[in-house]
Amino acid sequence: MNDIMRMKRRTFLAGSAAAIGAAGLPSLAFGAEEITFWDMVWGASGYTDAAREVALAYEPAAGLGEVSYQSIPWANWYQTFTSAAASRTTPAVSSGAAFLPFYFMEQGVMIPADNLVSKLDAAGKNDFLPGLLDAMTTHDGIAAMPWSMDLRVLWYRRSLLEKAGADVPTDWDSYIAAGEKLAKIGAVGLGIAASSTTTDAKHTISALMINNGGGFFAEDGSLDCVNDRNIETLEFLKECVAKKIIDPYAISYNSDNVETDWINGHIAMGFGQTGMDRIVPESERDDLQVANPILGPHGDKGTVYYINPLMMFDTTPSQDSSEAFLEYYLDNIKAYWETGVITDLPVKRSIAELPVIQNNPKLVLAINEWQPHGKTIAAQSNEAFGALNAVDGGNATATFAQRIVEGKSDSRKLLEDLQGQLEKIMN
Amino acid sequence: MSMFFQDTSTARRRRLTMAGLALPSILMMALVNGYPVVVAAVQSVHDGGLLKLGDFVGVENYIRVFQDPLFWKSLRFTVLFAMCGVFGSWVVGFALALFLRTRFPGSAIFRVLLLLPWIVPIVVTAMGWNWLVATRNSIMPQLAEALGFGPVMFLADPTMAVITVCVFKIWISYPFMMMMAAGALETVDQSAIEAARVDGAGPWNLLVHMILPMTARSTYISWILMTMFSVNDFPTIFLLTGGGPVNATSSLVVMAYRTVFQDFQPGYGIAITFVITTALAVLSLCLFNLIRKSSVS
Repeated sequence: MNDIMRMKRRTFLAGSAAAIGAAGLPSLAFGAEEITFWDMVWGASGYTDAAREVALAYEPAAGLGEVSYQSIPWANWYQTFTSAAASRTTPAVSSGAAFLPFYFMEQGVMIPADNLVSKLDAAGKNDFLPGLLDAMTTHDGIAAMPWSMDLRVLWYRRSLLEKAGADVPTDWDSYIAAGEKLAKIGAVGLGIAASSTTTDAKHTISALMINNGGGFFAEDGSLDCVNDRNIETLEFLKECVAKKIIDPYAISYNSDNVETDWINGHIAMGFGQTGMDRIVPESERDDLQVANPILGPHGDKGTVYYINPLMMFDTTPSQDSSEAFLEYYLDNIKAYWETGVITDLPVKRSIAELPVIQNNPKLVLAINEWQPHGKTIAAQSNEAFGALNAVDGGNATATFAQRIVEGKSDSRKLLEDLQGQLEKIMN
Repeated sequence: MSMFFQDTSTARRRRLTMAGLALPSILMMALVNGYPVVVAAVQSVHDGGLLKLGDFVGVENYIRVFQDPLFWKSLRFTVLFAMCGVFGSWVVGFALALFLRTRFPGSAIFRVLLLLPWIVPIVVTAMGWNWLVATRNSIMPQLAEALGFGPVMFLADPTMAVITVCVFKIWISYPFMMMMAAGALETVDQSAIEAARVDGAGPWNLLVHMILPMTARSTYISWILMTMFSVNDFPTIFLLTGGGPVNATSSLVVMAYRTVFQDFQPGYGIAITFVITTALAVLSLCLFNLIRKSSVS
């Protein structure tokens, strides 16, 4: 028995070598190495299965690599990507957070998407909504391909406005007027979540700053928090706080808290993602409506959006394989909207024109009326940059949002403090 | 003589064998614990991001720590949080341990129920507390309003948030203290207690002059452990308040986390953690000294 079981060292080594060789056969046989696609968990339940199905249905042309799909959770996403980049184990292609590609472009670990855009141009497939490719463009090239968009629009509960005898706001003055009436019936006129663990309030503040022609940055990308438009925006928010249009409890609200308040009818108006009406029961969805873009004090329209990117890393075994896959992927992501597994907006006109989108007046309004006036939090800078990750997710803007909801501080002082904090983390 | 040498050489061989067998584990421990510490120390004297080391800045990050108003605010909160965590949970835990020494119907079930805050995952507990206090329509604000306290903002008001977080810490920590105290109380000499009782000592005197001194060593150890648990406690604070509102509940650990992973300044964030580690080491030494001095007769 022992003699039978005993394996000679040479036999073992030969067997191992054969096994290793066999493992390498597929790549030798098909001539191209498999590429990896990392994908974050976007949208509703069912998204990951749908995305895996789309990715794995990809059949590469001769000489190009096949794709393996890997779902990446949002928990600690930044550490996941940065540690992968530091250890040179990034995938070939990946979806990711809005400003991640700009950071990685600066760090020199990504390949710009200009060549892929040229291919799409040549194939007549470059039908991205206005401004989106521009928003992805840096002086080093196009940082990543847009594939979906988190656009913030103004939602309102029709029944609560009717109950309060308020009109749907069209500008900031009418917003205050509607908010005051809503406060009288105990409803919140500007629902936000300002806890340190969520970015919701920052999004609303950014949306309003952009709505007033302001933003954190000047056109050249330098910090410009303390400007008249931003002060005006903060004064508006201060008035909302003073008149109980913003719930004082919102300072500690997380995403779940604000969602619960929308569901139970405590919030009557507020900025939220397109598709936010999915949080309420189907019978109530008609009650939750998207307003037309409101006019700022100087007649500006605007909101904030986050463009979800598809990045190409320089660790790819074949850039041609990466580009070919992304070209296929962008052609096929329409399935997510057709099957309803995603809440974000499409970024391509061809998808925006699908019946499933066109039959939803809220989405049509968001795409046609809100999206053209959208900007990223880089506003009013002409291009995005890596430090926006820290601006968007950092403590400086979280504390800034909380101090706004506190309603105790002078607007200029708040912006000066914010500028000081952002200078520290951006330098 | 030869026998002696044979013995010593055998013993040496045995020791070498033992050392050889232990060496992989020691090396593994050194790599797992030592390597990250060395890398972190290197990062703390550079100003890079998470991807690149950046420029060497010497002790600049450490100087910045002590010049940062948020550091001092976080330090103050950390001290308060740790004191509440240690003494609050000890008082509650010790009292319950004493109470559980009396047998009553259902005491076993009661004992298990008292351990629940420790058994239940912190994420679940934090969600439960958030549900209890976070919004105007939550149970506790509603109750406070019904009792005539007006709108109490348990997490939205900075002072109330500090109180809430400290109470939450006591809630999840008292079972540990209760277990430690229960173990210590088992070692108390009952004959001495009985003798004191016969001599006319009341419950308070028994507690202060007999039971507490007899359990002092165990108490100090539990204080040391709870101090470390509290100072290094990230999830309790982060899950409930995230360090807000307006940094009111930002402990040093939360500040370090946010600096590294939200502001993307690893050098500065790691410098904060080294300051915490140094402070904890000094504090532990002081407390160990207390243990050494505490004599149990």
